[in-house]
Amino acid sequence: MNESNPANHSNGAHLFRLYVAGGAPNSVRAIANLYFICRRHFPESHRIEIIDVLKEPLRALAEAIVVTPTLVKVSPGPEQQIIGNLSEEDEVLRALGLPQTESKESK
Amino acid sequence: MSDKNPDLLEKISSGIEGFDDITAGGLPLRRTTLLMGGPGCGKTVFALQMLVSAAQRHSTPGIFVAFEETARRIVANGETFGWNMPALEEKQLFFLDASMRSDVVKAGAFDLTGLLASLAAKASQMGARIIVFDAIDVLLSLLNDPVAECRELYRLHEWLTTHRLTGILTTKVDDNKPGTAQRYGFMPFMADCAVLLSQRVSDRVAVRAVRVLKYRGSPHVLNEVPFVIGPTGVEVGSSNGVHPEPQPFEERVSTGIERLDEMLGGGWFRGTNALITGSSGSGKSTLAGAYIEAACLRGERALFISFDENARDIVRDLSTVAIDLAPHLASGLLRMEAVRTEAASSEEHFMSIKRLIAEQQPRCVVVDPLSALARVGGGLAARAVAERLIYLCRNAGITVLFTSLLEGIDPHLETTTLHVSTISDSWIQISYSLEDGERNRALSIIKSRGSKHSGQLRELIFSHIGVTLADPRPPGGAMLMGTLRREKEDADHAGDGSRARVEKS
Repeated sequence: MNESNPANHSNGAHLFRLYVAGGAPNSVRAIANLYFICRRHFPESHRIEIIDVLKEPLRALAEAIVVTPTLVKVSPGPEQQIIGNLSEEDEVLRALGLPQTESKESK
Repeated sequence: MSDKNPDLLEKISSGIEGFDDITAGGLPLRRTTLLMGGPGCGKTVFALQMLVSAAQRHSTPGIFVAFEETARRIVANGETFGWNMPALEEKQLFFLDASMRSDVVKAGAFDLTGLLASLAAKASQMGARIIVFDAIDVLLSLLNDPVAECRELYRLHEWLTTHRLTGILTTKVDDNKPGTAQRYGFMPFMADCAVLLSQRVSDRVAVRAVRVLKYRGSPHVLNEVPFVIGPTGVEVGSSNGVHPEPQPFEERVSTGIERLDEMLGGGWFRGTNALITGSSGSGKSTLAGAYIEAACLRGERALFISFDENARDIVRDLSTVAIDLAPHLASGLLRMEAVRTEAASSEEHFMSIKRLIAEQQPRCVVVDPLSALARVGGGLAARAVAERLIYLCRNAGITVLFTSLLEGIDPHLETTTLHVSTISDSWIQISYSLEDGERNRALSIIKSRGSKHSGQLRELIFSHIGVTLADPRPPGGAMLMGTLRREKEDADHAGDGSRARVEKS
């Protein structure tokens, strides 16, 4: 099990669950952003599950999803929730424990 | 009416005593009500009580969406008011924990589309007709974008309208930070009914108040109205619509002093209120004691509420003038309750007096002194409370006797601190008369609504065998008090045998 360094993104499969609300603008954007981030940072090892709250409305309630879009990083643990359309890439990466993109880095 | 208007305003009882009065019937049905207020104002309790009441009284299922506190805490909170939360949760109420965990990260804009879709499914599954969004501002402020926040609120409002749900939104406003109020300044425009809750400190006592800012299509009380959060929930102190037509007075109730009854033409009228004013130590409580003893001796239930003096002391003091309340206390016919003035606002005092009346079911009540109310929470509030107390008693057919301290030294200043004298039915003033190095008590009836009464000033005599009044002044003669009166009485007695009923002590 990889628990020592979640920042090491080359090992372990990343499993994401993204809750969206049909074709709502923020949801559409979140799907695109998530695929972009995954392709860039976990090109070989990611799995994305998209749940449309409009189709499964009671599931979101049961899983304590409040707003859409909400991204849940299921693995590697610990579980992490990120809300919003994922357009703030640095915030997403920070939440996932990854180094931020070069452009924003100030050293 | 030519055709029935589908948009005709219907209302649902709020389940909050007094709130229905100030809103002329309660919340707008299938429309949006906004509850605003600073932290700790009671918004959540207000909203929860409305939901619980709809479930309990009208079997209307409801949903509570908690954006700030956890659902579990809100349920626990409801239980402290004696609401049967577990049973309600099982059948009629659904609580949704919508508070964001602290570790949730925000990365871009979001919206309520998903949440509303979920809630719509839940609402139709359980048949919910009423829904509370508690602390909606907590979620919206996460957006950190005034335009987006506004858009989501309109989305919510539209959703409520399309699903024909009665919505209750609560949101924080901070009086000290006008920016926050302005931020959601459009909210009252959106809502059909906007209510502002506030809490302030007056004379070191917290006073809660509620004000209906707007109510589309309905009349409402414009004024700020006090409310309390008591042991069974929120109670709004409405003074609207409680002014009943005075009942025709018929039955008389003894004052406990035979000669005073004579002066009044038979005693107080049943169901009215009497005010006894006088400076400190003038004997107001003694008259109150005489009245309450007489009630008990007739077998009527009675309640004696005293401010800042405990029952045992009062009973002991009264026993020195042959008023014995102990057996009535023991039998339960009489209940004496000592209240600490400074412990609560006048509004809270009113609520506890109301509770005591409900528990004891008295026919005769004493509040000694009513002026204690004016000492906390501001005179205006106290005056309103005094009025409501009067109407409460009148409606219940209770004959109530208030005493009131005259704060000024000037005995001729015949006004009371609360100005209740204007609304009291009878008013008796006890004053001191200083003459020849003696201080004597003089009683006069200033007013007695609906009956003839004596206008004479009479000496009030307390002795070990009881309380009475001296003989009236003979026509053309001088008013004699104390030693002079006794000397004259003795002389008269020697002459024709007539004398005051009560011996000197």
